[in-house]
Amino acid sequence: MPPGPPRRIRDERFGVLAGVAFAGFTLVLLGLLRLQVVQHEELSRLAEQNRIRLDVLRAPRGAIRDRFGRLLADNQPSFDVVFRPMPAESLSRSRAVIHTDWLMRVASLVQDDTTIVKRRVQEANRTGQTAVLSRNAPYSVMAAVEEMRADIPGVDVQVAPIRRYPEGSLGAQLLGYAGEINDQELEKRQDAGYRMGDLIGKTGVERKYEEMLRGQDGAEFVVVNAMGKRVSTLSEGPPRPPIPGHDVTLTIDLDIQRALEEGMAGVEHGAAVAMDPRDGAILAMVSKPVFDPNEFSRGITFARWRELTAGGGNPLLNRAIQSAYPPGSTFKVVTMLAGLQYGLVKPESHLPTACSGGYFFGGRRFGCWDKRGHGSLDLLTALQFSCDVYFYQLGLRLGLDRLQTIARAVGLGEKTGIDLPAESRGLVPTKEWYEKRFKGYMPKGALLNLGIGQGELLVSPLQMALMTSVVANGGRPVRPHVVMKVQGVPEFRIEKPTEPGLEAAPEIWAAVHDAMKRVVDAGTATSARIPGFGVGGKTGTAQNPHGKDHALFVCYAPTDVPRIAIAIVAENSGHGGSVCAPIAARVLRRVLLGDSLATAPRPPAKRDSTRAAAPDTTEAPGD
Amino acid sequence: MTKLRMPHLDWPLALAVFGLIGIGLLTVYSATSIPGAHQGLWMKQLAWCGLAFAAAWVVAAIHYRLYDSLAWPMYAIALVLLVAVLLVGTSKMGAKRWIEIGPMQFQPSELAKIATTFVLARFFDHARLDLNKVRWWLPPLFIALVPFALVAKEPDLGTGLSFPVMLVAMYFWAGMPLGRLLLGLSPVFNVALFFVTGSIWWFVALFAGLLAFARPKITMLVGILAINAAVAVTLPQMWNHMHDYQRRRIETFLNPDHDPYGAGYQIIQSKIAIGSGGVTGKGYLKGSQKALSFLPMRHTDFIYSVVGEEGGFLGAAVVVLLYAVVIIRGYRLAAVARDGFAGLVAIGVVTALFFHVMVNMLMTVGWAPVTGVPLPFLSYGGTALIVNCIQIGLLQNVALRRREY
Repeated sequence: MPPGPPRRIRDERFGVLAGVAFAGFTLVLLGLLRLQVVQHEELSRLAEQNRIRLDVLRAPRGAIRDRFGRLLADNQPSFDVVFRPMPAESLSRSRAVIHTDWLMRVASLVQDDTTIVKRRVQEANRTGQTAVLSRNAPYSVMAAVEEMRADIPGVDVQVAPIRRYPEGSLGAQLLGYAGEINDQELEKRQDAGYRMGDLIGKTGVERKYEEMLRGQDGAEFVVVNAMGKRVSTLSEGPPRPPIPGHDVTLTIDLDIQRALEEGMAGVEHGAAVAMDPRDGAILAMVSKPVFDPNEFSRGITFARWRELTAGGGNPLLNRAIQSAYPPGSTFKVVTMLAGLQYGLVKPESHLPTACSGGYFFGGRRFGCWDKRGHGSLDLLTALQFSCDVYFYQLGLRLGLDRLQTIARAVGLGEKTGIDLPAESRGLVPTKEWYEKRFKGYMPKGALLNLGIGQGELLVSPLQMALMTSVVANGGRPVRPHVVMKVQGVPEFRIEKPTEPGLEAAPEIWAAVHDAMKRVVDAGTATSARIPGFGVGGKTGTAQNPHGKDHALFVCYAPTDVPRIAIAIVAENSGHGGSVCAPIAARVLRRVLLGDSLATAPRPPAKRDSTRAAAPDTTEAPGD
Repeated sequence: MTKLRMPHLDWPLALAVFGLIGIGLLTVYSATSIPGAHQGLWMKQLAWCGLAFAAAWVVAAIHYRLYDSLAWPMYAIALVLLVAVLLVGTSKMGAKRWIEIGPMQFQPSELAKIATTFVLARFFDHARLDLNKVRWWLPPLFIALVPFALVAKEPDLGTGLSFPVMLVAMYFWAGMPLGRLLLGLSPVFNVALFFVTGSIWWFVALFAGLLAFARPKITMLVGILAINAAVAVTLPQMWNHMHDYQRRRIETFLNPDHDPYGAGYQIIQSKIAIGSGGVTGKGYLKGSQKALSFLPMRHTDFIYSVVGEEGGFLGAAVVVLLYAVVIIRGYRLAAVARDGFAGLVAIGVVTALFFHVMVNMLMTVGWAPVTGVPLPFLSYGGTALIVNCIQIGLLQNVALRRREY
């Protein structure tokens, strides 16, 4: 074993290290001298007479605005009754605080159960953090707290920002709501600096953009007297100002949103999406029934929460992106596109079997919605009148692979990637899916049903709007999004589309656009006509095994340079042409004509014309 | 083999440690004497003392040559345990630092500290050691940085940093010139100064001074310059391109108790406690501020502020003096050690102790961030006490055999 460096060198190095140690200990002594000699007087005073308390300065959450800067969500002050644990001096004092008298007084003040108050106060004493006893307390309670201050040590009034949604229930599911953080969220997010009592986005934009909207709380040390009343701030620790959250600007147009909501006023359950087909910007999004997010800001009771979430209505659900419906006849646009793209039909093609009100396949009869039959039609007219028999045959010719390829190309069957939480994927069945579902056996009728948008197909209203957009702009993919910009975050970007889009010959697009225009001009959706503008659309009726059929309608306008695409689903309402097309017309008039909504004439109801076939057999999806 | 003869013990070192442990027991008693939880902890601590003393005795009695030959296996086990703690460790306040063995909790980072000291000492204690060559100076860097990274990930930055700090002292003891050592550390200064001041010009000035002092060879100069330039260019870029919340996460990592409810409050309370003690203190058991907020830290991490309050400047200075005796006697032992390995072990052990003492004391007087590092020998806690006594046992081991032939 080598003996190490010679003694002289070792002594030298020892000198250096001992010097470092000496310097370090001197630094500690200087730190002690500074506190114990220089600042002794001041710190003694603090120690003997007063208490130091740390007050959190809540950072306001970023506002949410529509594309023209009109306010959709901001903050307002809420006066909370809080309990502040007593710092320093002695634990025995704060223990004495939870005295029965005290507890009774406080509980009656905030009108809460004594056990709940006690639990909160104990928690506050344990953690040293302020506990909120009553949120957004009325003025009378605040006055009472001031009056009784001497009898209820530790209780104080604190101002904190809460969320305000000036438009009430307008776009409620899209905006979402922000509420007090719960234990599970706190556990998960503690690293990010969340604390008990913080606001956190729970759904919608509030949740998706939580990290941008949320500010950074500040803090200041204050000196308080024995009553817990603030005497002065502490010079030792200067206040750290709160940093407000970023304001978020949505792509929503409040006017269009209003028009769409008003149009949907008569729909009990349903959803509608209006999108700019050029870039995927969501112009309006409605889900029915609605709720008022302001209720959550004020602090919602458990009973009310149960009321909202229980039962079939569930207003918290954003049906526009979270629910999936059979697309019904609106899907015939995809079938037509696929037929043209794979060269199986031409716009003027007639198929072998003319419509006699039904189609025989595999020994069963599949009906057309028009029992009288359409006769022999070409492709354009078949779409115009939504002839099921034509599309049964086209579906059969296409086969599953080709049909689902085109469906996926225009944005069905996969998440659209919209910047909102909990989006539904919908379902565009593949061969593998059928094999798994039916154990290797694909029902013969399945293809026929897929051709007319029935069967296993499921799409969200958002996906329907996306499909319409992609078709309207000639196959170019777009990314649906609701946030246009985030103030203070210049690098915010809309991400790339998730759907591949579809490259097809101009004649193919011309044919599809022509057929969709005919649907509105002289087909099943004449109530969506707007004088002076071309509108392309497609109605649909989706069979609902649980009740009355769902009405659907998709459209875009103007046909030369489309500026808006709309998809509407009205649950249990019957027929797309009569229920949904007038709603779309209302929005289109607003966008294209700048019409005042009040004077808009109510279009006459159209006769049922798009009802998808209910095959007469037991094998087909039930009605 | 040598008989364990008492005169060979380093008595100043031993007495200083006994003094510190005694003060620690008294302070734990005082800190927990107020009505409330934790009363009677001093008796538990007394029991731990007995165990710690026995551990120190055993560690001192075994010849350090055995540690030398077992260095690598110990190091390997320590790394495995560090990985294990990240996977299955017990969480406390958001950090995974402990492995539970029956009723005991064990921190693998403590074993890693000692094992790394042995491996580094074994590596540096080599006849052909030439720190001018890459194959000699690079491996120690990895030996120290692997456990550092694993411990920092727990996250326990306070303990983790003792690895690189130890390494620097051992490089120096092994013969790396001071100037070159500081130049090698310059990227660290670079990052630190950037975070503290927000501009790189402070560092440029410091670096110029370093160059004048160290006068490095051209190849080394180019290398160091390149590394620093890369750091200087990428750091502000990265910082500016991060979102606020990402920055906040980094700040939380560098300063885990950034939360104003916790750290800021504790620091203020600690300062008030120490400051109100004045020169002579309020007297034993008479401190009024020692109930530092409601966080159970006054008998652990913030015990020094209880000493400062009740013992005043005089009491606090006595503690500083005792630590100075331990540290400087420890470094002295390295100088008189019988061989290279023993000297290097002493350097590593003493530097780690010194680092922890500094981090904790500077924290209590408000000059260092709150990192959750206990004060050696004084803070309540069995594991830490045992490990610290084992460290002293190693030093006595070196002392016992310094005149062995």
